[in-house]
Amino acid sequence: MKKTNGLSMFSPNRRAFLQGMGATGMAAAGMMPRRARAATSMQYMCWEGYDKPSIIEPFEAAQDVNLSIDLITDSPGGFAKLAAGAWRDFDVVSTDSPWVQRMGPAGIAEFIDDAEFADVYDSFYEQFRAPFGPLQFDGQTTGLPTRWGWVGPTVNTQYDDLDTWRSYDPCFDPAYKDKICVLDWGDWPIMPMALHAGINPYKELDQAELNEIRLVLRALFKNTRAVVADLSVAQKGLMDGSFRTLIGGGTYCTSALRKDGQKHIQSIVPEPKDGLNQGIIWMEASGIVKDPADAAKAKALLKHMTSPEVAVELAWTEATCNLVPSQAAEGLFSDEQKDVLQMDYMWEAWDKSMFHDVAPNIDDMLEIWQQELAAAR
Amino acid sequence: MPSPIIEATGIQKYYGDYRALTDISLSVANGEFLALVGPSGCGKTSLLKILAGFEDLSGGSLTIDGRDMAGVPASARPTRMVFQKLALFPHKTVAENIGFPLKLAKRPAAEIDAAVRHMIELMRLKESYLTRFPHELSGGEQQRVALARSMVSQPPVLLLDEPMSALDAKLKKSLQAELKHLHRHVGTSFVHVTHDLEEAMMLADRICVMRAGQIVQLGAPAEIYYRPADAFVAGFIGDTNLLPARLTPEGAGLRFDCDALDCAAPMLAPGQLAPGLEQGGEALLMIRPEMLRLLAPGETAEATIEGEVAEFFIRGASIQYRVAPSGGGAEIVMDLPGTSVLPAQAGDAVRLGLTLSDIFAVRP
Amino acid sequence: MAMQDKSWRDGALQLSTLPLLVIFAAFFVIPLGMTALLSFQGTQYYRLVWTWDLDIWRDVFGQWHYWRIMWRTLVMALVCTALTTVLAVPIAYAMINRLSKWSHHITLLMVFAFLTDAVLKTFGWVLFLDRSGVLNGMLAGLGFGPGAVDVLFSPTATMIGMVYNLLPYTIFTTALSMARIDRDLVLASYDAGATRLRTFFEVTLPLARPGILAGAVLVFVLALGVFLEPKVMGGGTSPMAAELIRQSFETRVNWPLGAALTIVLIVIGALVLAAAGGLAAIRMRRSKA
Repeated sequence: MKKTNGLSMFSPNRRAFLQGMGATGMAAAGMMPRRARAATSMQYMCWEGYDKPSIIEPFEAAQDVNLSIDLITDSPGGFAKLAAGAWRDFDVVSTDSPWVQRMGPAGIAEFIDDAEFADVYDSFYEQFRAPFGPLQFDGQTTGLPTRWGWVGPTVNTQYDDLDTWRSYDPCFDPAYKDKICVLDWGDWPIMPMALHAGINPYKELDQAELNEIRLVLRALFKNTRAVVADLSVAQKGLMDGSFRTLIGGGTYCTSALRKDGQKHIQSIVPEPKDGLNQGIIWMEASGIVKDPADAAKAKALLKHMTSPEVAVELAWTEATCNLVPSQAAEGLFSDEQKDVLQMDYMWEAWDKSMFHDVAPNIDDMLEIWQQELAAAR
Repeated sequence: MPSPIIEATGIQKYYGDYRALTDISLSVANGEFLALVGPSGCGKTSLLKILAGFEDLSGGSLTIDGRDMAGVPASARPTRMVFQKLALFPHKTVAENIGFPLKLAKRPAAEIDAAVRHMIELMRLKESYLTRFPHELSGGEQQRVALARSMVSQPPVLLLDEPMSALDAKLKKSLQAELKHLHRHVGTSFVHVTHDLEEAMMLADRICVMRAGQIVQLGAPAEIYYRPADAFVAGFIGDTNLLPARLTPEGAGLRFDCDALDCAAPMLAPGQLAPGLEQGGEALLMIRPEMLRLLAPGETAEATIEGEVAEFFIRGASIQYRVAPSGGGAEIVMDLPGTSVLPAQAGDAVRLGLTLSDIFAVRP
Repeated sequence: MAMQDKSWRDGALQLSTLPLLVIFAAFFVIPLGMTALLSFQGTQYYRLVWTWDLDIWRDVFGQWHYWRIMWRTLVMALVCTALTTVLAVPIAYAMINRLSKWSHHITLLMVFAFLTDAVLKTFGWVLFLDRSGVLNGMLAGLGFGPGAVDVLFSPTATMIGMVYNLLPYTIFTTALSMARIDRDLVLASYDAGATRLRTFFEVTLPLARPGILAGAVLVFVLALGVFLEPKVMGGGTSPMAAELIRQSFETRVNWPLGAALTIVLIVIGALVLAAAGGLAAIRMRRSKA
């Protein structure tokens, strides 16, 4: 998912930059951050949340390594950085699953032997067990899933009935004019709209289909109050009713509100339409980057990230709460946590959803997005 | 005395607790050239700013051209100022600078143009300067433009704030002469602030000497020079001899007792006394250097001083001698008319003589 | 004298300018050159391909929506420059002349506000201008209906944010320029018979022009690159050039396109400044003639 928690969006990598500065300074002084003179040093590229001290520090202590963390603010951007040559520096990456999978064709993945991770797969829900299609390339495994959720209407039941949002129709209803928030998160808001138009955006598209997508975006922008990149602004609007839904969002946007007791806020997926699932499953995965400095420790980090104890930590972070693939972790969640995560609904959402991937025509769609947005006002 | 153009009565000015002006009363006659003189900080510039309307009065009243100036802003006063640093507008041409007061008075363009050209001629500036900017002119030319700007609308009163202090000596001399000529030509009243008493004596009809916010003496140049009100005024110009003495009334005059002077009948007439000395007491005898002469051997004078020439300076029109008196005390300064044959050399023993009526006594 | 005559041939002197030259080259010329070179490449599967062709430029000149956004950016920047200038001149004048007692305090407050993170200030404006925000709360308290001011997520809100964030630049340059005006020139104008208002237009304003122009140029250049205000306060529905460039680089991972659009923006900015400079020069010459 897009982790644009507002401020970091506008000062790209502010924290990473500061950390980098710190690391440089300390390296110059001949010492290492946190763990002085650890035996090994590893480079880890990840989204916010994976860098929680409660996750990182036990690993560093157990393996006697020092993890240098590079936070991602944009999945394609992170991939582009790796592909441009940074893969030589990095050992492990945790990002949106399509981009982990893409390391395969890009030739920058260190493939995983599923047999070595058999115990990890055994702890997963059966939906995620080997061979897990979304992370396969050419019959080989590029990474392991670490977090997931769904994209669909986010509903404040104080203002709208859940049934209102069994489809995206209200987005185009004049009664909802100026009440729709579109998240400015790359391809995420485009995909559900394409599905609503009856087009599967994850396959090769022809001109007529692209034109349909153009029309649905144009119609969407007519009712749009704002295109928002900042999660907190989107959440505030959802709570006070000025945004009735967040297009491109889902559990990623609502879980933190539910955690704070706002249980009237829910994420659902629309009903399948003409045989086409309308929901989207997003997933993050962790993979090893080609030629890690220490292959054994890279694998150890992957196992650490997929262990039930870490999975619970990963699910529960400051900005958002998310589902994890680890079935073994389910027992570690309290009932309250399960409710926050809408676990009773997760397999229904799964069944009514597509799996997110990098669409073949993504650049065409982004260009259409730019054009329609430029013409919107 | 013709009707005064400026009538100041009991003017006070405070800056917080600081008294800049104390009880200044002064009147300036129509067409008069008045110089305000004094050391820096004496209040002369404050007084000028009050006349111009840049500063408010703390007390007293001011009438200019028959109108009470209370509450009248600078822009509405019948005065024009020539600033110390000239204050020519750097973004306006010479013609725009000079014509500015007329433009503000909404006079027709043709009239402004004619007036500007007239001023250019009067100030002996070249017509080609009209389109130039002030920074393209020399210091003396800028000076004339500033004068032209303040005189173009023929104000009843012109205020000059040491406008020549930045010029070199030679240029200053020629501009002083022009200013005097100009004053006679236009008939405007001038109030001229300067710290240079020599300049004031050369230009002004009357001089107002100020010190510490008060008027010390107000009078014609000769009066200021020959009959100073006190030692401060006496010592304000050039090198002057001030000899300590004791006065005692005797008959119609006063008898003086001065160690530095050899005198058979040491008497002063009542007209040789500054105010406050009528009853005698401690005094300083002012003897201007040009009042002394060198005595030939055997020659006599009403009063004499014996001494030795310490040094001398040839100053063109005059030769200045500094003589150390044999009886001790401060060196005596004497100015003699210049000659090609020096009357005395350094180290010579000399006798100086003077006439008693040239002495003027002031309070110490 | 001989030394001075040949200063341009003096090796040591040339050497002493080298650091500046290196810095200038390293931080300005080289990146700009690389940006220009980048615009002749292509991308495939999110990776740069060294194609050395004009495809990107054909795309840039073939797509009207880039130009629509560039045009909007230019208009917004010009309006913002005009508004900040019109606002800054009286504010700076008051600071220097009427509130000179407090000018240190005011300057301190402005510097404080100026140095506060722009992100925080902009989000503060969102909370202030929102339909259910502080402003509408206050207006409701005064008897206005709910949501009396509904400007958030509109180009008006973008402009409010831009003017707010860029105003200090013009205030500072203008105030600096006004503070340097010789007080005697103002007095001379009063003395010549000008009222305060007339003096402001005849003396203060023309003499503060260098500062006002410097501020305007600064604001214009910065306004061309605003990013936060259209996105956060403008609600993202009227994107400006910086957002377009960010999208190209980050979301579409199309670096050559981003580079080409960057160059387009720089050229537009440079052309406008050159035109303004030319106009100013012509006016100067005319006023001299």
